[in-house]
Amino acid sequence: MRSKARFIGAVEIGTSKVAVLIGEMVRDGSVNLIGFGECQSHGVIKGLVTDFKAASDATHSALLAAEQSASVKIDEVYLAQTGGHLDGFYNQASVSVSAADNKVSQVDIETACRLAKSKALPEGRTVVHHIRRPFQLDGKMVGPNPDHLHGERLDVGYWTVHGLESAIANSLHVVRGFNVLVGDIILSSLASGTMMTTPQDRQHGALVIDIGAGTTDYVFYQDGSPHLTGIVPVGGGHLTNDLTLGLRVTEGQAEKLKIRHGRALVHTREKSDKVWLNGDFAIGDRQFPRQAIELITEARVRELFEVVKKKLGPDFGPEACAAGVFLTGGTAKLPAIADAATKVFGIPAQLGELPPGMDEKLNRPQHATVLGLLHFGLQNRGGANEEAGRRRPRGFIHKLFAGS
Amino acid sequence: MSNDTPQSPKARSWRDIPQEIAPRRMSSVGRRRLNMGFVRTAAMVVTVGAMGWGGFEIWQTLQQDPQRLTAGNESRPVETINLQSNGVLDDAWLQETLALAPQTGLMELDLYALRTRLTASGQVRTAVLVREFPATLNVTLEERSPVVRMNAKLDGPDTRTFLVAQDGTVYHGEGYGPQLVRSLPWLGGVRLSREGSGFVPIEGIAQLADLLATARGAMPDRFATWRVVSLERLSADGQILVQSAQVPEIIFGVREDFYSQIARLDLILEETSRRTTVPLHSIDLSVGASQVPVAFNQIAPSFP
Repeated sequence: MRSKARFIGAVEIGTSKVAVLIGEMVRDGSVNLIGFGECQSHGVIKGLVTDFKAASDATHSALLAAEQSASVKIDEVYLAQTGGHLDGFYNQASVSVSAADNKVSQVDIETACRLAKSKALPEGRTVVHHIRRPFQLDGKMVGPNPDHLHGERLDVGYWTVHGLESAIANSLHVVRGFNVLVGDIILSSLASGTMMTTPQDRQHGALVIDIGAGTTDYVFYQDGSPHLTGIVPVGGGHLTNDLTLGLRVTEGQAEKLKIRHGRALVHTREKSDKVWLNGDFAIGDRQFPRQAIELITEARVRELFEVVKKKLGPDFGPEACAAGVFLTGGTAKLPAIADAATKVFGIPAQLGELPPGMDEKLNRPQHATVLGLLHFGLQNRGGANEEAGRRRPRGFIHKLFAGS
Repeated sequence: MSNDTPQSPKARSWRDIPQEIAPRRMSSVGRRRLNMGFVRTAAMVVTVGAMGWGGFEIWQTLQQDPQRLTAGNESRPVETINLQSNGVLDDAWLQETLALAPQTGLMELDLYALRTRLTASGQVRTAVLVREFPATLNVTLEERSPVVRMNAKLDGPDTRTFLVAQDGTVYHGEGYGPQLVRSLPWLGGVRLSREGSGFVPIEGIAQLADLLATARGAMPDRFATWRVVSLERLSADGQILVQSAQVPEIIFGVREDFYSQIARLDLILEETSRRTTVPLHSIDLSVGASQVPVAFNQIAPSFP
């Protein structure tokens, strides 16, 4: 049975951890999760590979752990991409319907799409995603396929996500060093957003914010598809850093205080309420005002959400985001963070939940991206492969080596 | 925007970034996976090559000398023949019967023909022949046991002694000691019919064998004097006639168990020898337990 299956690895090389999930893709298109590996990340800062060897060692350890837990060899990898180098823009194209009877043809659609995607990028930048927004026919929104509809002008727009070619090449080569091909690169926010929201949420409008250790990825859905995406190079690590500076403690102690006593909204009113650093009454253990910790974390979280809100721009508003804000990622475990988001965005916010029936080990917000990679990657497999098939060698010998 | 707009250059995609990397830039795990890929490819090439070469060889042989594919002349000659038997047949008989030509290959042996040759003698009930590579033939025999003996002419004018087994098979016994053959009673009152190179099996021998086995067990001394047994009246009257050294005619009935009849015979012989010296002429044990007709002679019987 297994010989007919294909084993896809979802890899997220994050600032704090590298996570690998292996999915067994069976012939009917469904995926069984069969292996998981995780390793502390090294050589990655704010989603960028800064030390190739350290990043490779960490990534390969996680890949190996996942392969050993699944007892299979990975055939192909879907790689999550994040980092401050990623940016996006919107480009729209219009074509006059060519047929005399004003019936939209496939040629019209392809022409519009090609033109909308053809905007040149600055030197050294490369496209990661072209996310299509709904077609418009004579200014009215139509379905995903306007073929055979009647109208005079066909409009289509793409949200193009692009990044530094060198940064993306580094991520690719880290994985390629394990001698496995990267089948697709997927924006982290798109991966986690797919897992956190339902199609109905996306149709009504939803904002998903994935707060990692080094970066915060967000995706804003409208009309059922991603409207815009973005990355803020600020994450949970910055909360720790602020605590380190504010309380004059080491990074490890600050991380411990953040996890134990940090809050996204100040709850403590008594300044005299203090907490122990370690709580073991050993030499060096000391007390800190709880309110001070909460004030520092609240300020940084509020600032983070305000930056996101600012980057979302005028397209975002309460009426365009009826489903609300969904928070995920490791830092989303900070108490009262949903209330803080509600306060900033002015719409209901909640902690995102993974679909029911998930393995207990995986059912954590920090695994949303790696789970979403498999889900999103397989959903978009048809289109991606169509493009990939033209560019990537897929011969027998090539697959033989790639799969080894 | 019109459809006539010239095609814009497509934006560079991440898929244009070459993924190939030099093995020295791979981690040790990656290099191991790459090497395993090479090994697997090499193994596949060797396997495919071997299969192709094998196929070519077979095809070539089929074209040039198809006999080579089926002939067993490449196998080693038979060096050892192991015999396992529950009877008296020995290696010499086996060698003579099999009559294998010198340097006969093990794979050349026609085991079915050899088995037929072994069972043709009649003395062998079943024969199992097994090749044991590289050069051994294992033969396991199950032999028939003789119950009585008889004289008959098979081929030629001379009368020969044959043995009769429990299933009625008449065969020329091989390897039996003279003492054993002499201890067997003669069989009379049957007509032999030819079948192939032998005779049709005789009916009723199973009952006779039962009688003889019972007598041999119950009164071995008196049984030793039994000379001739006859099945002359078996089919008509259900009687078996025995001629012994003391009594010219002892009649056993097949409808009553032989042990009771032999017990009565022993009693009668005992009583008569104690009470009279007049020789007995006949004892009829087939009538039943309530009465046993006994006839006396005035003169002592004479036997061949």
